[in-house]
Amino acid sequence: MAEANSKPGESLDKALPSGVEYDEAIMAQQDRIQQEIAETSQLIGDHEDLLLLSKEYSEEDNVYQGKIKDLRSKYKCFRRTRGDGNCFYRAFGFSYLERLLDDRKDLERFKEVAAKSKDMLVSLGFPAFTVEDFHDTFMEVVEKVEQQIPVEDLLATFRDQGLSDYLVVYLRLLTSGYLQQNEDFFVNFIESYASVKEFCGHEVEPMARESDHIHIIALTSSLDVGVRVEYMDRAGSEEVNHHDFPEGTEPKVFLLYRPGHYDILYK
Amino acid sequence: MSEAQAALLLRKQLGDLSKSPVEGFSAGLIDDCDVFKWEVLIIGPADTFFEGGFFKAHLYFPKEYPQKPPKMKFISDIWHPNVEKNGEVCISILHEPGEDKYGYEDASERWLPIHTVESIIMSVISMLADPNDESPANVDAAKDWREDYNGEFKKKVRRCVRKSQESV
Repeated sequence: MAEANSKPGESLDKALPSGVEYDEAIMAQQDRIQQEIAETSQLIGDHEDLLLLSKEYSEEDNVYQGKIKDLRSKYKCFRRTRGDGNCFYRAFGFSYLERLLDDRKDLERFKEVAAKSKDMLVSLGFPAFTVEDFHDTFMEVVEKVEQQIPVEDLLATFRDQGLSDYLVVYLRLLTSGYLQQNEDFFVNFIESYASVKEFCGHEVEPMARESDHIHIIALTSSLDVGVRVEYMDRAGSEEVNHHDFPEGTEPKVFLLYRPGHYDILYK
Repeated sequence: MSEAQAALLLRKQLGDLSKSPVEGFSAGLIDDCDVFKWEVLIIGPADTFFEGGFFKAHLYFPKEYPQKPPKMKFISDIWHPNVEKNGEVCISILHEPGEDKYGYEDASERWLPIHTVESIIMSVISMLADPNDESPANVDAAKDWREDYNGEFKKKVRRCVRKSQESV
């Protein structure tokens, strides 16, 4: 830490923290920010009116206000997710399982895909011991969905940090598994890493690493679950643009993207 | 819940390791009531100066395990570039991505929730055999290793090996 009472005239180096202290100060600050986020927002929020979004932007901000209006004509409400770097996985996981509460046919299909996924991960060289642990927890939640627990119970599951993070880890593993299985294709989109495996070890499997298109394509393809992302950014007109992943599929999950963050939308 | 989950996973690993031990180390708890604190005994890898040694180390797991990595500290004296003089082990997989103050290369493997006690100790054993010279935690040991491998480095390591044998 820099000394608060350093006298004027002292060299600048002295007043500034050294390299290591500086890094530590940044890490401590990041921890504080994470803690603050955790205190002020739930992992998955309650239903909220989309009108509340318009308060977050200036009234004169025609692009955003226009987009919110457009969004309100297409969706009923939304749920916020915590901005902790895991929001895409958590939003996707919750929203899809919530939908499966009312769709037994798709649930049957999904259960089969999810059950098989463990062997796929182990065959790729992930350690069986830990994969099994995450897989079992994931399947327990899928079974709860099969028993048609109330939405509140599913919400409680996703709001329980430990359990919720376990589900995120498993979705991250599935994403990594799909990328590695289709390495020949995905290697073309990876910059600054020597291999798909290395990319996964740094950008997919670790917690709190944010998701990009490539992650979304991989996870939605791996589970064969269509996701529509509505983009609310500075680009273009006063209408929100959307993109469906994987391309051309019927969306079952609807997400709102604002730069760096995903929330859940409801029709 | 998170703490219970971590405790459960650690108990499972403990059971697994005592049922089917892995060559090269043994593991147990420091205190049977606390599953978050482990004691491991690492056998110095063959064909290295550490051969013949039995090095005791402690692992301290956070409540957020496996989202966050444990800390590891050698209790036995050990002279190695990647082990601090107070015994703390500095390898990249025990650090989360983004913790860059250790100066690891970007490509080095970081902590992932799928790591186990076994995979951690295996990395430590391979570190003993093959130090990472780029980000030494013990600068003096790194210097010995680089400049006087068969002299000073060997002498200090063998001294630790003898000491570790006496205390077993």
